[in-house]
Amino acid sequence: MASISGAEVKHVVVACEAGMGSSVMVAKMLAKQLKDNGVTVSHSPVNQLAETQHDVVLCHRGLSARAKQAVPNSPVIVFDMFLGDLRIAQLVDEIKRGALISDE
Amino acid sequence: MANFIPAGTGGHTGWRAAVQKLGGNLAGMVIPNIGAFIAWGLLTALFIPTGWLPNEQLAAMVGPMIINLLPILIGYTGGRLVHGQRGAVIGAVATVGVIVGTSIPMFLGAMIIGPLAAWVLKRIDAVLDPITPPGFEMLIGNFSLGIAGLLMAILGFLGIGPTVNALSDVLGAGVQTLIDTGLLPLASILVEPAKILFLNNAINHGVLAPIGVVQAEEMGKSIMFMLETNPGPGLGILVAFWLAGNSVLRGSAPGAIVIHFLGGIHEIYFPYVLLRPVLVLAAIAGGATGVATFLVTGVGLVATPSPGSIFAYLAVTPPGNHFGVLLGILLSATVSFLVAWVILKATKSGDDDLAAAQAKSQAMKTGGAE
Repeated sequence: MASISGAEVKHVVVACEAGMGSSVMVAKMLAKQLKDNGVTVSHSPVNQLAETQHDVVLCHRGLSARAKQAVPNSPVIVFDMFLGDLRIAQLVDEIKRGALISDE
Repeated sequence: MANFIPAGTGGHTGWRAAVQKLGGNLAGMVIPNIGAFIAWGLLTALFIPTGWLPNEQLAAMVGPMIINLLPILIGYTGGRLVHGQRGAVIGAVATVGVIVGTSIPMFLGAMIIGPLAAWVLKRIDAVLDPITPPGFEMLIGNFSLGIAGLLMAILGFLGIGPTVNALSDVLGAGVQTLIDTGLLPLASILVEPAKILFLNNAINHGVLAPIGVVQAEEMGKSIMFMLETNPGPGLGILVAFWLAGNSVLRGSAPGAIVIHFLGGIHEIYFPYVLLRPVLVLAAIAGGATGVATFLVTGVGLVATPSPGSIFAYLAVTPPGNHFGVLLGILLSATVSFLVAWVILKATKSGDDDLAAAQAKSQAMKTGGAE
């Protein structure tokens, strides 16, 4: 299970099936929350995750198996709701506090 | 293992990921090219003889776009997924062989030959790269691609084109039978649960749209574009959550409704259904109602509405079809709302639903990942 300190996170990638729809939406919302922390947030199709530069990957539970397959050594944070998800809020908090982020 | 996944599939994330991956690759060849599809769809809706502004000269672009441009773009993109720019080029070359070998829009053929040709070139490059003398990279690179592309185009012309043509005939005949016998609404029994499992793009762009394009080319419109993309069922479910869900979900429902129905991001309602898997019945009932309405009123779309937003729907609805299209969306939303509302009222389990579900998912951590 991969983990990283929130203080070291510079790039977050949000993955979805096509990399053009829901991931773009989540990435935009997240970028707004993290822009004061010098963290960039981008988006990607789940099967091209390996080609992205990232410290943390974020994706919906329905795609988590493929995300983990694509980048087995990166922390893959899994969320359930596209709006108002507690795990996403927790991730933002962990990055801001520099706490340990783990997909364990 | 996440137990929000509807029963019967919860224990099979392995095959689900595999199917998603295959479907994701099919969709990955189509989705980057949706803009070209929309150009073609608008051109068709406007200028064909039954369009808004019939114009014979401008309509001359419709055929070459659907027969040549779109399959070549798919073959190009499919090749790029396998082997970068060189894969893209040989994918486009090989696709021409498939196109010329048939008379129908060769989407399925392009989805096969594009990646296949790129894969062959990847193998050839792996052999030639280490033994290429310095200074000969460009010569060998260009000619290996050119010769392999020629051979793959011939293979496509002789083998894949006719095979896919026959396959398309069988698929098309099967779909036509479902339409003629009025059984098409039953497709929702498969389509709606598959959507919730994030197979939405695979089903629409990988399976339904290629069939729809053949129909649209022959008849100017197709109902196949509407089976997966109808925003009605999801709208009904979200409204039900808004009015009858617990307080946590109620708060996010209006935003989700806007993003789903106007923005066309259907993924946003899948988690709501996954929280209460039995709600898939509402999606099926709504979906089948919509398909039945589209069928009875005899409507179709000229191209796939992507994303599945109400605005995309209106843009690709041909003249005279608006009443049936809007009625179908309205009825499917109403039916799915009523079913979902009854289910939510009947199974109401307090306000801590989402919190509990999220706590559970926290506890399961990587649940669903392995």
